[in-house]
Amino acid sequence: MSSKTLLKIVLLSLLVSLTQWSLGQSRLITGTVSASDTGETLPLASIQVKGTTQGAITDLDGRYQMEISSPNAVLIFSFVGYQPQEISTQGKEVINVILQVKPSSMDEVVVIGYGTVRKSDLTGSVSKVKSLELGKITSISPEQSLQGKVAGVQVSSTSGAPGAIPVVRVRGVGTFNNSSPIYVVDGVILDNISFLNSADIESLEVLKDASSTAIYGSRGANGVIIITTKSGKIGQEQITFSLSTEFGIQNLAKKIALLDGREFATITNEINPGTYNNIDALPNTDWQDLVFSPAPMQNTQFSLSGSTKASQYYLGLGVFTQDGIIDKSSFQRYTIKLNNSYKLFSNIRVGNNITLAPYWQQNAPNVTYSVYRAQPILEPYYPDGSFGVVYNVGNPLAELANSNNFNNGLRAVGNLFAEAGIGESLTFRTSYGIDAGYGKAESFTPAYTIYNPDGSASQQQNVLSDLYKGNSENLTWLWENTLTWQKSIENHNLVVMGGYTMQETRSERMSMRGENLIRDGSDFWYINPAYIYDPVNGVNTIQSISNGVDPNQYYSMISYLFRANYILADRYIFTATFRRDGSSKFTQGNRYSNFPSLAAGWNMGRESFMQSIEWISSMKLRASWGIIGNEKISYFDRFARVQSDILAVIGNPDLTVPAASYGKSGNPDLRWENTTQTDIGLEIGLLNNRLTGEFDFFNRVTDNILVELSTPGHIGNGLGQKVRYNAASVLNRGFEFNLQWREKINDLTWYAGFLGSIIHNEVLSIGGNSGVDSTLLGGYLANGQPVTLSEVGLPIGAYYGYQSDGVFQNQEELNVYPHSTQAGIGDLRFVDTNKDGQINGLDRTYLGSPIPKFVFGFNFGLKYKGFDLSVDLSGQAGNKIFNGKELVRPDPYNFEQHVFGRWTGEGTSTDEPRPSFGGYNYTPSDHFIQDGSFLRLRNLILAYNLPVRFAQRWNLTEIRIYVKATNLYTLSKYTGYTPEIASFDVLSNGIDYGIYPVTAVYAVGLNLSF
Amino acid sequence: MKKSVIYIAIFLLLIGFSACEDFLQNNPQGELTQEVFPSTAADAQLAVNAVYATLRNWHFHSGGFPILDFMSDDSHKGSNPNDQASTLNPYDDFTFTATQDGLDRWWSALYEGIKRANVVIEKVPLIDLSVPLKNRYIGEARFLRALYYFDLVRAWGGVPIVTTTNPPLKLERSSLDQVYALIIEDLEYAIINLPLRSTYGMEDEGRASKGAAQTLRAKAALYQHDFQTAEEQILDVVRSDEYDLESSFANANSLTGEHGVESVFEIGAIGIEGGGGAGNQYANTQGVRGTPNKGWGFNCPSENLRHSFENNDPRLDYTIIDLNEVIDGITILGDGTTPDVVTDENGQIIQRECYNQKVWIPGANTISQWGHNRRLIRYAEVLLIAAEALNENNKSADGVYYINLVRERAREGSEDILPDIETTDKNELRDLILEERRSELALEGHRFWDLVRTGSAAQVLGPLGFVEGKNELLPIPQTEIDISQGIITQNPNY
Repeated sequence: MSSKTLLKIVLLSLLVSLTQWSLGQSRLITGTVSASDTGETLPLASIQVKGTTQGAITDLDGRYQMEISSPNAVLIFSFVGYQPQEISTQGKEVINVILQVKPSSMDEVVVIGYGTVRKSDLTGSVSKVKSLELGKITSISPEQSLQGKVAGVQVSSTSGAPGAIPVVRVRGVGTFNNSSPIYVVDGVILDNISFLNSADIESLEVLKDASSTAIYGSRGANGVIIITTKSGKIGQEQITFSLSTEFGIQNLAKKIALLDGREFATITNEINPGTYNNIDALPNTDWQDLVFSPAPMQNTQFSLSGSTKASQYYLGLGVFTQDGIIDKSSFQRYTIKLNNSYKLFSNIRVGNNITLAPYWQQNAPNVTYSVYRAQPILEPYYPDGSFGVVYNVGNPLAELANSNNFNNGLRAVGNLFAEAGIGESLTFRTSYGIDAGYGKAESFTPAYTIYNPDGSASQQQNVLSDLYKGNSENLTWLWENTLTWQKSIENHNLVVMGGYTMQETRSERMSMRGENLIRDGSDFWYINPAYIYDPVNGVNTIQSISNGVDPNQYYSMISYLFRANYILADRYIFTATFRRDGSSKFTQGNRYSNFPSLAAGWNMGRESFMQSIEWISSMKLRASWGIIGNEKISYFDRFARVQSDILAVIGNPDLTVPAASYGKSGNPDLRWENTTQTDIGLEIGLLNNRLTGEFDFFNRVTDNILVELSTPGHIGNGLGQKVRYNAASVLNRGFEFNLQWREKINDLTWYAGFLGSIIHNEVLSIGGNSGVDSTLLGGYLANGQPVTLSEVGLPIGAYYGYQSDGVFQNQEELNVYPHSTQAGIGDLRFVDTNKDGQINGLDRTYLGSPIPKFVFGFNFGLKYKGFDLSVDLSGQAGNKIFNGKELVRPDPYNFEQHVFGRWTGEGTSTDEPRPSFGGYNYTPSDHFIQDGSFLRLRNLILAYNLPVRFAQRWNLTEIRIYVKATNLYTLSKYTGYTPEIASFDVLSNGIDYGIYPVTAVYAVGLNLSF
Repeated sequence: MKKSVIYIAIFLLLIGFSACEDFLQNNPQGELTQEVFPSTAADAQLAVNAVYATLRNWHFHSGGFPILDFMSDDSHKGSNPNDQASTLNPYDDFTFTATQDGLDRWWSALYEGIKRANVVIEKVPLIDLSVPLKNRYIGEARFLRALYYFDLVRAWGGVPIVTTTNPPLKLERSSLDQVYALIIEDLEYAIINLPLRSTYGMEDEGRASKGAAQTLRAKAALYQHDFQTAEEQILDVVRSDEYDLESSFANANSLTGEHGVESVFEIGAIGIEGGGGAGNQYANTQGVRGTPNKGWGFNCPSENLRHSFENNDPRLDYTIIDLNEVIDGITILGDGTTPDVVTDENGQIIQRECYNQKVWIPGANTISQWGHNRRLIRYAEVLLIAAEALNENNKSADGVYYINLVRERAREGSEDILPDIETTDKNELRDLILEERRSELALEGHRFWDLVRTGSAAQVLGPLGFVEGKNELLPIPQTEIDISQGIITQNPNY
């Protein structure tokens, strides 16, 4: 049975089992619910028939419909933060309601760690993103929708490959190792959320400052993203069905301007005169056209939700499929979401939130790099149809044709919880969550040879077919217990929460590689002992088998948590949190660490002296301080290893014998990395909250950074091996703002927003006096050359290399300026930065930062009758890109167009040197640094909601159709595919290694509700 | 309120019961840590074997590419003209700098080998083992440690000395003499404690022997101009009757001659691709490029080398693979992207496509090439060291005997070539020995250091770019200077 059929059956049986249909003699009431302050319609507002449990809920556009049996029933309309309204249905068919803001609190509920709080009672810096925004970018990663939407958050794609996960940075780059935030999905702490369908998300909160993240203690230092998934709404007794589907086409957004055949031959003839006699007769192959082609992407989801007296339920199903613009790459994911809760007794509630996500992925080899390098004067195929040789690079089409690289798996995340109210003021909650993953990787390359024109074998060949198999599994369980005590006495409101949690993460990986399969077909992709035994040489290639834990996924933690929130007179708010974390990653003495925070807020807008200022509707000042930690390192870092996979060859005849010795040294002194963050914020609402603004200044210093540093060669760790130390400090200081204007004029509702953050990132110390590296090299290119150097006073991952100040125009200049022995006339002139009269390694210097100084977004939307339009722009400024793919050039490759500005004689060019196939001018220098600023039309959606009467013809409550364009246009000077170049490795940030291009997507979609 | 207190108390009790320190104790999975290794007799054997494994690390071989041959007058970079041009040509014309590709790889690999040797030297004495075996293990490790330091001292001069498994991160360079002193101490221990080659069983052939240690001791003495020690040690090796010359010069480095009578110390390897396997990429790096596809084709023998052989010296043909040559039934067609011949403006050939035959392994694929056993010390060199030491000790007549043994084997019974050397003039013989070393040991990594240690480098290599007072040593890798924040200092004039 195919998995699709299985899904259908599951779906059907669920439908049958849920029999909460409301039938009978009845009439239909329809209408919309909107808010008085914003003028916007309110989605998910609840409507209840007074005196019954019957109810409904508004759809995403604030519309509802419900069947009423009693002729004079009264409806109660309610929404969090608004005053409920009762309206009689007598004689009415359409009831449109405008809910008034509650005078005491005009705000939404914000989810924080281990609790919720009204936005106005919040002392921390938390940004909330609603579910509607999250679905705007179609991607497997809900985070993609955050780009340009949350001040202080930078989201960047690492690749356009199907299934690729973006890099998320909250308030700059905080550490040298894993700088990604953690995700908390319905209380389960996770490292990534690629299993989550955006459509199943109710709300997403980004916790930024210490006051809000410190409750996550050791894991909060790089921000916390809390996600709450959807559930059935209390009072919504009718089942709501919703079906949406979208179809999109991904396109290569931009081609790189490379030389064509004739141009390439021209330049080649300048380098090696006489190479090509008749440049007009040469082939002209555009490898980019051959490799990239538009690819479809589809996203379909179905959900049903509702509630009964004693239960709430939500079921979501999603199917996401994406083909890559490069052949042999694709991604498919199913998501099954089940959220239920049951009221057992008046004071006990139990429930579950479960997601199952099977996925299938095919990965293309990195042909982007070979496409970039392949000479355009080579034909892709010989006349007989076989693949043509592409010297030094390999024919990318042949590489694709012989690639069969798959991975698939299943991720299951969920929890079971119970909540018990004890007396009036005490609530106990216990929750047991798991995150289980199973993954399987498989890669097969047949034996093949690409021949030179003379019939000899080229370097592109695979002598024996090979098969790689990998399995991985991981299981995390998290048991959390909290006790919350809440008391309000007159002007005093106190909430105290204490908790205890335990977590264990375990994992195992196994992989095998075999050679010389008996047949090529996928039916034979199984490892057989014969494949790991080399009969020619009579040995087992045992190193092709590996098995062990994933060192980043093997640890246990124990935590104690505490938070007190005290509100005086609805105006003065004080929050204190404390968490004590213990982690198995450290030796006993260093195991525990404490993470406190303090914060205060002042709702100035509620002071009597502010009431007279009419144009200020609300105003809050807040400040926080706290210490948060980070321990995202390998559990093994503290141990000194024995390397036991060594083979020696001894004996006559030569025989392999096992060997073992000391591997990398360890560091038993490792302890927690800690971040101290101070935040001062102002939230303000003006002109009846039409204009809202939120401003934050923050100062974030990370100390004792767990950083892997190079040890001197004489330690014997081997080249490139690093040992982890607590040996660096980094400062991120910044300012972030979010301005939103919302207005309703008659039928027209519109909003506009501008948000951004300015970040100063600076390394305060590295290495100290410990004798290890005081600088941190990174950004290693394909030839092993590092192009980033992080050192005190510079940003993390700062580019470094030679600075050029021209091209040597003549012998005289060559005589005057200090120069490398490899430099000649027409070559780049490097600056003797240390003024010692010679150009050598010591002259390499800071060339720019990969971290943008300013990250921003513009959002605009309007709604007029059935139409709505949303326009999102995002951008960044002040960062540089290192064009790494251009630099590595041991062989004659194709060139970018700018080579035509080359130096050809005195006075011809001062920035583009004479052309060469590698060598001196391809030394890492500012010649390869480009401006990384960009402004992107991130998303454009134009939608039309068909009139209700039209929808009703098919018994539907909503029909919405839309067209959408993502990454439609990018304003950038960068010559590569995209200026959005990111890496999870903070030391390789912004280096273009020849990534899979990020695509532009054009889509059409349809939403139905009934 | 009272009730709440009780509930809170229960909650706290719950915490107290489940908070167990053992829960946070995670032991390493599937991996040993250094505190408990090596601790058994089997561990000791594993640890010793690991010291040998470094010899097959590609980086051990001067960073991967045979740069010592490039730096001599024996060869050019090779492969096609553009391949690795910017990274390797600087070794050919002496324009390399401290950041030159490969220097850091070589440095790190040697110290990795030293660390592995130190594990044996420091830990094996504490293991319960029979004394002779224990001493042999330590002797093997000390021989290999000396071998690694000998590369370091010749390439860079005085380097940081590490003799423990837990060296300080900050360590200055020691003097050249201190490094040699350590090498000598290690080798003298090895000479006493290592068995003769013939006493090893078949399964242990290839391990360090007394003869190998003595030859290395003599060789180190040559570099220090301590010809007395060199003579004593090397004549001991000759008299041991453990070794002889292969009857055919071709077998001195061939597959047939592996572990043969001429092999004093060689690196065992089995033809499997991949660094972690049992193969050695040293020969693959230099293997014939193109057809047959035996490798990357680096180390292209120079015209200068070709013309340095005496008339009709059969060793020329065994040293250089020329295009269209047929070896072991395989015709060498070569590489399409490498010009067959490069001439200067006068039409004089300055370079031609040819390959190093000393790494040749029969077979038409690259995999076989990984099985080449590189000979680090062979008996022909023992004889030439004997000749040199005797000559320098004013026993030229005795020295002539040994050089003539080498020439006799080379001439393959032919009467009219490679006549016996008759001169007993010390200076004349010194030059002849240097020339003989070149013809006999060409492309085996000796020539550059021979020129430096005999003081001939400036004269011979000057025209190629060698700068006296600078290029005798390589620059310390820039990364080492950077990491140590200048505690490790650079060699002169770099």
